[in-house]
Amino acid sequence: MAKTKERYAFFPGCIAKNVYPSIEKSTRMVFEKLKIGIVDYPYSCCPAPGVLGSYDQDTWLTLGARNISLSEADELGIVVICNGCYGTLHRVYDILDKDDDKKAMVNAQLSKIGMEYKGTYRPIHFVDVMDNLQEDILKNKKQNLGLRVAIHYGCHYLRPKSDEATHNIEKPKVVEGLVELLGCESVEFKDKLSCCGAGGGVWSGAEGLGIDILEEKVQNIIDVGDVDCIINICPFCHMHIDSTQKKSQFKVDTVPTLHLNQLLGMAFGMKDKHLGLHTHRVSTRDVVKSVKKAGKDKKAKA
Amino acid sequence: MIDTEFLELTNIKKCVQCGKCSASCPAGRNSRLLTRKLIMQAKSGIDVLEKEELWYCTTCFLCFERCPKGVNTVDAIIELRNRAVMEGKFPEVHVAAIEGIYDTGSGLPLSPDGIRDRSMLGLDKEPLDIATDENNFKDFQKLIRALGLLEKVGVER
Repeated sequence: MAKTKERYAFFPGCIAKNVYPSIEKSTRMVFEKLKIGIVDYPYSCCPAPGVLGSYDQDTWLTLGARNISLSEADELGIVVICNGCYGTLHRVYDILDKDDDKKAMVNAQLSKIGMEYKGTYRPIHFVDVMDNLQEDILKNKKQNLGLRVAIHYGCHYLRPKSDEATHNIEKPKVVEGLVELLGCESVEFKDKLSCCGAGGGVWSGAEGLGIDILEEKVQNIIDVGDVDCIINICPFCHMHIDSTQKKSQFKVDTVPTLHLNQLLGMAFGMKDKHLGLHTHRVSTRDVVKSVKKAGKDKKAKA
Repeated sequence: MIDTEFLELTNIKKCVQCGKCSASCPAGRNSRLLTRKLIMQAKSGIDVLEKEELWYCTTCFLCFERCPKGVNTVDAIIELRNRAVMEGKFPEVHVAAIEGIYDTGSGLPLSPDGIRDRSMLGLDKEPLDIATDENNFKDFQKLIRALGLLEKVGVER
């Protein structure tokens, strides 16, 4: 295997694997470029915090702990690319770290299938990995993208604030810093930190409410003016933002969305088709055109 | 409905009804969910387990992070949902998702579109996951059965 700076157990999550493989593909390409080593494991669903967590906390904790424990023997911690997976895995880790009774319950269950949860490695969100690799990102950057972007943090990267987080969760700057590094302008908009409307079982259980919340979010972004795309850090938000905007009940104009790893890929000069931008429901054609134009302008200037 | 365990978990007694939770709530702006009221009712011992708005919270945790008294608002809602499930009062719509996780290991399983996009992008047609490895998958299903969730929601496997 090629020498890597760091190695993680890669937790792609159900949506990036099964519904938006463009995000899995972009992540693999970007991680390889940045020499982030990843190892695949036979994971189950994280499990979904909104549905499983709402129905049975013990099941949610135990299945989450099972996933975390898969790479413990290999001395690898998990990297996630989804806020939903993070909302389960980092929270399960935090809860079991503090609550010995729950940890004992989880291990009593896991022992039935010959497994044990130790809690050696705290699951990490890829945004934190990228934040530590700013120099490498700059070294690999082929062009400034010149896009005006609206950053959608989603919820569970920021909240509940984990014990180890260093962000100001009411005014985070980490994703802003990363998109600016790629030559994008990050715009401010009303209720920037609010939910996309998919979490907590609302996406599957109260579709109309999920659409209303998303309409409010997209309208707030449109009101800023001339925003090229929404940048997300979560395939679940990505799926809701991208596919729900194409539903007939959605009454607001549409704005394309890209996972941050797709944006990184474009800045690294990867082809939009390889990043799967053509598989999105809301067309990304204008975003791709703007990026190509920004690349040509730069060459013309040089 | 309210017992020591619930009070300890949620810190609900500290609530002073300031309403910051509802002011922050994206679901509340678009539905009848009023976290402030739900917390008040739960605190007063009113049975809220059948209220449909209990299932409107997106668990965004804005209310929790902004609560000046440290009430675990979202954990309270999640715990109330868990208790509603124990009493058989839950939205049927989620049962399919639970069955899906048991049957496939995935919250959202691979669809024909997913297979098409994966092969177009040069990824393995079917990704490595729990269902790829038969023994692993049997253990996973055994674990779910042992935890008793399927009986709670009336799923037979």
